[in-house]
Amino acid sequence: MLNRLKIIYLICGVVLLLVTSCDKIEYNSNQKFDRNSPRNTNSINLQKLSQSQGDNVVRFILLGDTQRGYGESEDFVKKANTMQGIDFVVIAGDISDFGLLQEMEWIVRIFNGLKMPYLGVIGNHDLTANGKEVFQKVFGELDYSFVYQGVKFICLNTNGREVNFDGSVPDINWLNKEVKSQAGVSNIVAISHITPNSTDFDKKLELPFVAALESSGNCVASLHAHDHTPGYYTPYANGIPFIVTGTILKRTFTIITITNGVVGAERVLY
Amino acid sequence: MEWWELKGFYIKGFIILLVPCFLSAQEKPKLIPDAALLQHAGSIGYLSAGVGYDLFKNKKGNLDLLYGHVPESKGGTLNVVTAKFGYRPFSIKIKDFAVVYPANPGIFFSYTMGDNLSFAFSQKQYPKSYYGWSESFRSHLSVANEIEFNGKKIFDHKKVKAIVLYSEFNASDLYIVSWAINNKAISFFEIFKLGFGAKVKF
Repeated sequence: MLNRLKIIYLICGVVLLLVTSCDKIEYNSNQKFDRNSPRNTNSINLQKLSQSQGDNVVRFILLGDTQRGYGESEDFVKKANTMQGIDFVVIAGDISDFGLLQEMEWIVRIFNGLKMPYLGVIGNHDLTANGKEVFQKVFGELDYSFVYQGVKFICLNTNGREVNFDGSVPDINWLNKEVKSQAGVSNIVAISHITPNSTDFDKKLELPFVAALESSGNCVASLHAHDHTPGYYTPYANGIPFIVTGTILKRTFTIITITNGVVGAERVLY
Repeated sequence: MEWWELKGFYIKGFIILLVPCFLSAQEKPKLIPDAALLQHAGSIGYLSAGVGYDLFKNKKGNLDLLYGHVPESKGGTLNVVTAKFGYRPFSIKIKDFAVVYPANPGIFFSYTMGDNLSFAFSQKQYPKSYYGWSESFRSHLSVANEIEFNGKKIFDHKKVKAIVLYSEFNASDLYIVSWAINNKAISFFEIFKLGFGAKVKF
């Protein structure tokens, strides 16, 4: 009798293992992808954005530094879903804390709960360990751009310290091509993790970066995260505003509105 | 993540690591392993292989040393060296042919080698305590369950004492610190990752 009970326990245990095992298999926390990991999140969301019906105002949420802030991220998604007229959401870097696949999977799972499309931009923490390859698989290119309602958004990697300031980040050649005038584009907005006047930005590339934005003639803002403290600065003679969003860890984000080339920033606490 | 948050974790880990070394020192030194292992997944490689030693007089403890590999096609390329310590406090005998060990707590340490992984972040590249963790060195908590088949009874083989099949759940330090501050958004069960393996005891 007792033996039969033991065998039943054993069978239950094996069944439980098999049922739960599907997404629990891990080869290493530093693996760059697995069978179930999300792919091309940015292009999937850009596809959604291209189908959305907009109005004259481009209105989106800028947030940053979700690193290990999963509870705060869940609450953010709930909050954003109650808001009207938000076209999309941008996570401006430090999506992960340790550059791990599991972290980006958790964030994608949480942000997939958003009613509106969302995009990821690379941060310095996302470039630790195999984070670069993980980001490329899960989100997409490190430098990319898209046009939405006449505004060109240029999202790029500015995490110069991660390449030991070797002059390759940010990619100024790529940026210079992107800011060239283009049919159907009336304004340009740059989005990157680190501000050009930060000690984590490649000093040699600070002025070339600013000059590239200026050369477009229609850059209306450069948006950032990383500092964890919100701010609105115009540090260069060209008057382009550099807007920094607070970290989601402090339960704050920024709503950016672009109306006929005029940029507005509104800080929200939740 | 600040560096001191993980430092304490590692110090505690090393103390636990040292305990079985002192205990086993009372026995005769023995370098010939008691078991050979093969494992799939479990955070230490797509496939890993190694040797095992029994620890303590009651042989309820074990030390397993493994070398694992994750090929490029499975998310690598990574190579992993692992040292595992486990203990088998509970056992259920199934007649005379097998013993089930339903819950074996353990701790293990893994060192992962890969192109982008360093033990410590470069002090030339980053200011002091810019990043506070190691990309390559992980500490893990584990719970394993195993079924040990009596080699003499089943296989009638003199050299093979037993064949063991096991599954092992582990949570790494970085997952634990992720869960610790988010225990609503991430469940405790979710930070445990699974692996399967087999041991031949001789």
